[in-house]
Amino acid sequence: MKLFQKFLALVLAAAMTMSLLTGCTVSGSETRSPETTEAPADADAQTDAPTDAPTNPPTDAPTDAPAGIIVTDMMGREITLTEPATRVVALTASDCEILYAIGAGDTLVGRGEYCDYPAEVFDVPSVESGYEMNLEQVIALQPQVLLMSTMAQSKEQVESLEKAGIQVVVSNAQDIEGTYEAISLIGALMGKDAEAQAIIDNMKTTFDDLAAKVSANTGEEKTVYFEVSPLEYGLWAAGNNTFMNEIAEMLGLTNIFADVDGWGAVSEEQVLTRDPDYIVTISMYFGEGPTPVEEILGRTGWENVTAVKNSAILNLQNNELSRPAPRLADGAQMMYDFVYEAK
Amino acid sequence: MFNQRNNGEGFNALAYLLFNFILILTLILCVCVGSVNIPFTETASVIWKALTRQAVESSSYTAIILSVRLPRVLCVALTGAALSISGAAMQGLLKNPLADGSTLGVSSGASLGAVLAIAFGITIPSLPFSGTMVMAIAFAFGSLLIILSLAYKLDYSLATNTIILIGVIFSMFMSSIISLVTTFAGEKVKNITFWTMGSLAGSDYNNAILLAAALLIFGTVIACHARELNAFAIGEDNARHIGVNVKRVRLTILICVSALIGVCVSIGGTIGFVGLVTPHIVRMIFGPNHKRLLPASSFCGATFLMLADLIARTLLNPLELPIGVVTSFVGALLFIYIFYQSRRGQG
Repeated sequence: MKLFQKFLALVLAAAMTMSLLTGCTVSGSETRSPETTEAPADADAQTDAPTDAPTNPPTDAPTDAPAGIIVTDMMGREITLTEPATRVVALTASDCEILYAIGAGDTLVGRGEYCDYPAEVFDVPSVESGYEMNLEQVIALQPQVLLMSTMAQSKEQVESLEKAGIQVVVSNAQDIEGTYEAISLIGALMGKDAEAQAIIDNMKTTFDDLAAKVSANTGEEKTVYFEVSPLEYGLWAAGNNTFMNEIAEMLGLTNIFADVDGWGAVSEEQVLTRDPDYIVTISMYFGEGPTPVEEILGRTGWENVTAVKNSAILNLQNNELSRPAPRLADGAQMMYDFVYEAK
Repeated sequence: MFNQRNNGEGFNALAYLLFNFILILTLILCVCVGSVNIPFTETASVIWKALTRQAVESSSYTAIILSVRLPRVLCVALTGAALSISGAAMQGLLKNPLADGSTLGVSSGASLGAVLAIAFGITIPSLPFSGTMVMAIAFAFGSLLIILSLAYKLDYSLATNTIILIGVIFSMFMSSIISLVTTFAGEKVKNITFWTMGSLAGSDYNNAILLAAALLIFGTVIACHARELNAFAIGEDNARHIGVNVKRVRLTILICVSALIGVCVSIGGTIGFVGLVTPHIVRMIFGPNHKRLLPASSFCGATFLMLADLIARTLLNPLELPIGVVTSFVGALLFIYIFYQSRRGQG
């Protein structure tokens, strides 16, 4: 009994100190936040109005000039911002990449723990994402906008974030078209529409170029196998409705697991029977043992697979083809070079 | 043949012949049926040529049968036998019908060892997988020691409830540490996640040889202690009175059990419930004498796991189900049934 009381006292003490600590950090960031108030914007509008159009009634100016940003996110929810967001938390790796690509990386005040590109993102404090998303962590960072995907967040979590004054914006790209939508959505939020459009145009040009070059190339149709997890841990492949599948189709390749929806644990026997011409693995290499390509080449029973015979194995280590982000174009280019140029 | 239950004898040669017959029949079935449809004649000729060391033309069929299916089925059978015999031994030793690697937390301990080995890149040069294996065995033994010494401290009689309670809590504790390690593992998160899902896919002949060696050594040692286990099953004091060296026997069996579970976990991940379920089914058919229980458990465990793996491999073709899903589904239902029966018996 005594032991239990001691334990209880210890727990209570720990809880007290924790609450004190979090209290401190919250009040600390509150003092920093006023730099993003609307005061300067209003002042600008008022000084502008009399010089430009003195006949206009003054009530027109505030509604016209700093016109709020209204966007519809990818869940169909309408989000209104009075001005471009300056403090953003992005939970998914792809949204972080988009933010940096449109030149809004400096607005990032918090990132999901798995965001790893570009390298600058590691300077930003990381928060837990997915099912472990921690509301307090996010609220303590005082963002205006939280970018996330639909995967893991409950309605209750979204509601309590909105009560805390944080606009929740959902990006949920499932294909390349959706990626464009996500980029222009984030561009609009950050007031970087032109930059976002430039990125999209750039991606489209790359894809169109590749598709045109591929259609000029009239050989027999080749097959590809996308390996997501290596044999040692059980094979996982990318099937239909994945970015990899979409890119493969664009490049005139047939995914051997097009009959599988999304990612799935596939049978090794099926890989051997379906005999892919190319293998693309997204395994990472940590500098120990054989590289992912060497490991595939050394598998027993795989000697007769065409891709292994021809050493036609590409290792995309940096998630180029697994995230709805601008780098999909890089990944597509790398795959094109691998399939059509490397002969 | 099987009705000589309480004369303290093991099976006769005829019974062993029958067991082997069923085992080999299952093995043939599992090698012939798989994700890819291969004609039976083709399978038979490939296997025949391989057995008689004739040159086999390398086609995708031969690769599938000889490099993918056969080693996997062998590994599955050996894992099933190893897990079942360790389950039977632990249930007898601890006089506890619910004892098994997964309920006692030994498997999760072994998993933690393997996860640590993956996360920190612990390897022994020139021996692939050996890092995870050594760590898994060490942690399996460590977990067993911790769980049992804690149980002894709290309750000298080692009551069923105490051990299971401690085992479950220990299991959760281990899983939380695995999650913690995973959180700090950075880029290796993916590898660890896929490993913890457990898979016998990608087993090769080296794994099969390792499992066979472990089963041969530690399984035989366990089987040689059948008489002592019978004494333990009646009660530890009883065992001491009839002259069993309680401490030595207990330590020997615990070491064998942790070695077997450690090897199995490092090769196939945690496969739940096989070690729990098979001894119970066997006990219902052949009675509680360990001279029969131990060999019959390993035969039935091998057969049960091969069939479970067959379902896992073919049910969602071309996808594969984790084998643990199949064993846990069947196992959990049986677990509840046994628990219900034993409770009703008491009341």
